Amino acid sequence: MRISLSWLKDYVDLKGFPTKEIVSKLTLAGLEVEDVFDGTEIYKGFIVALVKDKRKHPNADRLSLCTVFDGNNDLQVICGAPNVGKGQKVVFAPVGTVIPKGDFTISKAKIRGIESNGMICSEDELLLSDDHEGIIVLDPKLKPGTKITKALGFDDVIIEIGITPNRPDALSHIGVARDLAALFNRKLILPKIKLNESKEKIFSVASIEIQDTVNCPRYSAKVVKNITIKESPDWLKNRITKIGLRPRNNIVDITNYVMHECGQPLHAFDLDLLSGNKIIVKSTKAESTFTTLDSKTRKLQPKSLMICDLEKAVAIAGVMGGENSEIKESTKNILIESAYFNPSSIRKTAKSLGLSTDASYRFERGTDPNNTIYAAERTAQLISELAGGEILSGKIDVYPKKIKNKNIKIRFERIEKVLGYSIPSKSVSSILKKLGMKIVSTSPKVITVSPPTFRPDIEREIDLIEEIARIYGYDNIPTVSKISITLGEKNDEFTFKDKARDIACSLGFYEMINNPLQNKNDSSLTGSPIEIMNPLSLDMEYLRTSLLPGALSVISKNIKHGEKDLQLFEIGDVFNKHSDNEIRKFEDFVENQNLIYILSGMIKPKEWNQNERIANVYALKGMLQSFERKILLDNVLNDSYYHSENSCFDLFFAKKLNDKEIGSGGRISKEVLKQFDIQQDVFAFEYSLDELKKIKIENRKYSEPLKFPKVIRDFAFIFDKTIQYEDVENFIRKGGSELLKSVKLFDLFESDSIGKDKKSLAFNLEYYSEERTLTEEEVEKEFNRLIFAVTNKFNAKLRGN
Amino acid sequence: MLDEKITQISNDFDSELQSVQSLQQLEELRIKYIGRNGLVSSLFDDLKDTSKEEKPALGKALNSLRNKVITDFSSLKLKLESSSTSKESKIDLTLPGNQEQIGSRHILTQTLDEIKTIFKGMGFSIQEGPELESDYYNFEALNFAPDHPARDMQDTFFINKDFVLRTHTSPVQIRLMEKHKPPVRAIMPGRVYRNEAVSARSYCMFHQVEGLYVDTDVTFAELKGTLVSFAKQFYGDNLKYRFRTSFFPFTEPSAEMDITCFLCHGKGCKVCKQTGWLEILGCGMVDPNVFKYVGYDPEKFIGYAFGMGIERTAMLKYGITDIRVFFENDLRFLKQF
Repeated sequence: MRISLSWLKDYVDLKGFPTKEIVSKLTLAGLEVEDVFDGTEIYKGFIVALVKDKRKHPNADRLSLCTVFDGNNDLQVICGAPNVGKGQKVVFAPVGTVIPKGDFTISKAKIRGIESNGMICSEDELLLSDDHEGIIVLDPKLKPGTKITKALGFDDVIIEIGITPNRPDALSHIGVARDLAALFNRKLILPKIKLNESKEKIFSVASIEIQDTVNCPRYSAKVVKNITIKESPDWLKNRITKIGLRPRNNIVDITNYVMHECGQPLHAFDLDLLSGNKIIVKSTKAESTFTTLDSKTRKLQPKSLMICDLEKAVAIAGVMGGENSEIKESTKNILIESAYFNPSSIRKTAKSLGLSTDASYRFERGTDPNNTIYAAERTAQLISELAGGEILSGKIDVYPKKIKNKNIKIRFERIEKVLGYSIPSKSVSSILKKLGMKIVSTSPKVITVSPPTFRPDIEREIDLIEEIARIYGYDNIPTVSKISITLGEKNDEFTFKDKARDIACSLGFYEMINNPLQNKNDSSLTGSPIEIMNPLSLDMEYLRTSLLPGALSVISKNIKHGEKDLQLFEIGDVFNKHSDNEIRKFEDFVENQNLIYILSGMIKPKEWNQNERIANVYALKGMLQSFERKILLDNVLNDSYYHSENSCFDLFFAKKLNDKEIGSGGRISKEVLKQFDIQQDVFAFEYSLDELKKIKIENRKYSEPLKFPKVIRDFAFIFDKTIQYEDVENFIRKGGSELLKSVKLFDLFESDSIGKDKKSLAFNLEYYSEERTLTEEEVEKEFNRLIFAVTNKFNAKLRGN
Repeated sequence: MLDEKITQISNDFDSELQSVQSLQQLEELRIKYIGRNGLVSSLFDDLKDTSKEEKPALGKALNSLRNKVITDFSSLKLKLESSSTSKESKIDLTLPGNQEQIGSRHILTQTLDEIKTIFKGMGFSIQEGPELESDYYNFEALNFAPDHPARDMQDTFFINKDFVLRTHTSPVQIRLMEKHKPPVRAIMPGRVYRNEAVSARSYCMFHQVEGLYVDTDVTFAELKGTLVSFAKQFYGDNLKYRFRTSFFPFTEPSAEMDITCFLCHGKGCKVCKQTGWLEILGCGMVDPNVFKYVGYDPEKFIGYAFGMGIERTAMLKYGITDIRVFFENDLRFLKQF
């Protein structure tokens, strides 16, 4: 919301306070100043000029060659606007002026071969509006050479304030002035109303009936007759232009002006267009349509609050007036509406229409139900001053049940308890009074106040404590340098995750963070995705069901950038629906925290004394094993290998604990790689971090280093190729006695020399006992027994014999 | 006689040793003096012929000669050996070493780690909660009335009318208080979503850290103290700060904390929009209505809460001007941290 400081000074005297201080105080008190436009700075250099002559540019059809008088000299200026004309007074930017839009400086330039010495400006270039159709044509009475800041009243500071939803009272100049008066300890000055009313009584020409008193608790009106619709005077046009409104005619401008002055939205109806000269406020029962004054036909939901006459709807209450009762040039008699509507009713209507107006914005936040008469009379007063006409005597005010705020008690002890600091009781009551609260009673411990109805946000003691704190100044509350710490169970739900991250990094993986919002294709690749009702785009319509698609996109993008050797990991939540039914409770879906490892290209580049290592499924397996050894213990999870293809992997394996799957992965299938436009092998494995976390690790205990020597034996066998390694290893482990402590494969060899369908596997065996030194004989016996068993079991041939 | 011989041989050895240049010469010298038939060895034969009175003294002198020869000989040998290896195989130490790749945590994780460490030091637990939340936890229990304009403060992604992608980490406060009786002291990091057009300054999801402390004697002054201490540890000791009044439905009084812009040191620049200040977090005293939702007695218990964005913090700290780079996961970006 824009506030003009010069306008503000009508209501509070801030003489002597620099803009900077005003801005800072407002910001600290919760009316955050987001921007400051200082007109004298922004419009420095712009002057009024006279277009003395206008000819066609000899080399361009659309350009005009103008002679412009700046008060001293005639200048040749080229102008592209269609509406420039001889005799006009215009806004002129001489050479050296900085144009607000785009922040560029006007210099002497040749346009299509002809010199131009400055620029004639449009509203757009001055940031007054988006209108760049034509140049601004000024009042012909203005003198060439006059500063624009003076001519248009731009010698003002406009501040843009972000008003939080709890402060509807501050959505006007008087509202902001009230806070300033409290902050600077000044008096708030409200415009005095003096009405010259005619003898004719308002009741003889209009009547009002509220049928829906829940959604319209109050409806007030004034009538003014025999007005003249015309342009507003300059001061009014200037004031509303500066806060970003476009002047239309005196009546519309006045209603806008009074709304920005006191916060009450107003509407003027053409009284002669109201059938039966009657206003009926009621809610619709069925769906209906209505044409608003912007000539748009809008569809209304049932239960929308409408302003009607005897025959038809004439306005959507609190949102926008209708075309059928709009003020026109011919309008003579008007009825001024000044009402209080139920905020939630207006919000519902405005939301369903997708229409937010200055009026609905204020009504849905809550206007002051007890200020309708003041606003109506203020409007009537200005209309009679600026549009002529007679104000009919009396007012119509339908207000069946007066809205009062309840009294609130505030305990000094509580202020101190919440803030940690005591504020003198004198300051407390003075602050509350300045903010418009009525002090009902005071005692040494408690003050009872009645808050004003323009502060719907103040309902409880704690709300008053905030008011006191913010006006007293948050900075005046001490910053303690000692804090209390609660002793008790300290829980860090991130410990496990952080450990997983550490290990992943030590294994050479970089962490990525991907957007969980994905397109339908990617998210359905790995599960049954949950759809977003109002997505930003089709690319972000669903939640990810696994970390894989996001990781593959990253691999693909990086390869395109020339980064082909990739080792990445991610920890994040994935979401899966349990069924196709709509989600109504938490049990209808599962949100799981996962960890993915993904690798592609070279794990180690070739170096001058080492060969490269290329990512493959064994590299992946080994890394996972290292990870598990660090995070759990060795051999906690069982690997399961599937030779049937999974939809995403052509080499696929899973890890299980007691038949519960903890994770799965392998080599990404060619089809999936193609979808992500990847031309190199990619390997990935995704764990359920939640499941990993649940695994109970037995207490780790120290075991003494071995005191007795190990006996090492190697053997190699030739097997049929169809025999799986894991079967052989398991057989050796089981077949060895308790002295056999370790079995390691150290060579795999295939060659025609040992037979086309044969392979040789070489093992390294470790024998030892924790209690004694083994004898050569007992190991030899044991070893020979194993050779015999393997030979028999697999029909294998011992090599080297 | 023999004692003269001993002196003679000792002197000869010393001078000959000095002229030794190679291991081979040294070996020849070794054979000459202490070989089986070497000069020193032969002296021991002579010892047999000496008188009983002379024997002990001569024996002692002879032994010390032999020890001296062996010691001198060994030390020279070591010297010669070490110089010969470096001369013989010329290892080029300037060749590059073999590097091992170590990955790294995402810069947002690293930023969060720093924040976590500071708050853990101040006695906070660390908790988390789900990203797909119910309207109840995300709004209602946090005192966002239905149909209240406060709901417009956060553009929301809806799954349907009852479920949303959480717009802030504050629902974890509710979950935590439902589970535990006071005192409660925790920070709650996590991912949040906003239905905002993606640009350099805003993204449809980002990360927050929420903080909550509830006990019988928590004050706004303590909230200020805690946050100022955090900011000084995180951004540096010299910073200036201010607390501004603000509005959040779940805190009352509410505030936002600004620190002096560390790019322009408060003079005003593009990053701080010429104000000289940077907003770093929102905070306030827990609204009594929130306590009612979780069954805490609002007269007895009092609390504070705060929340900050991690992306914004990291952008400020590392001079990142486009929020989107965090989520592109370009290796060239990831490797920088």
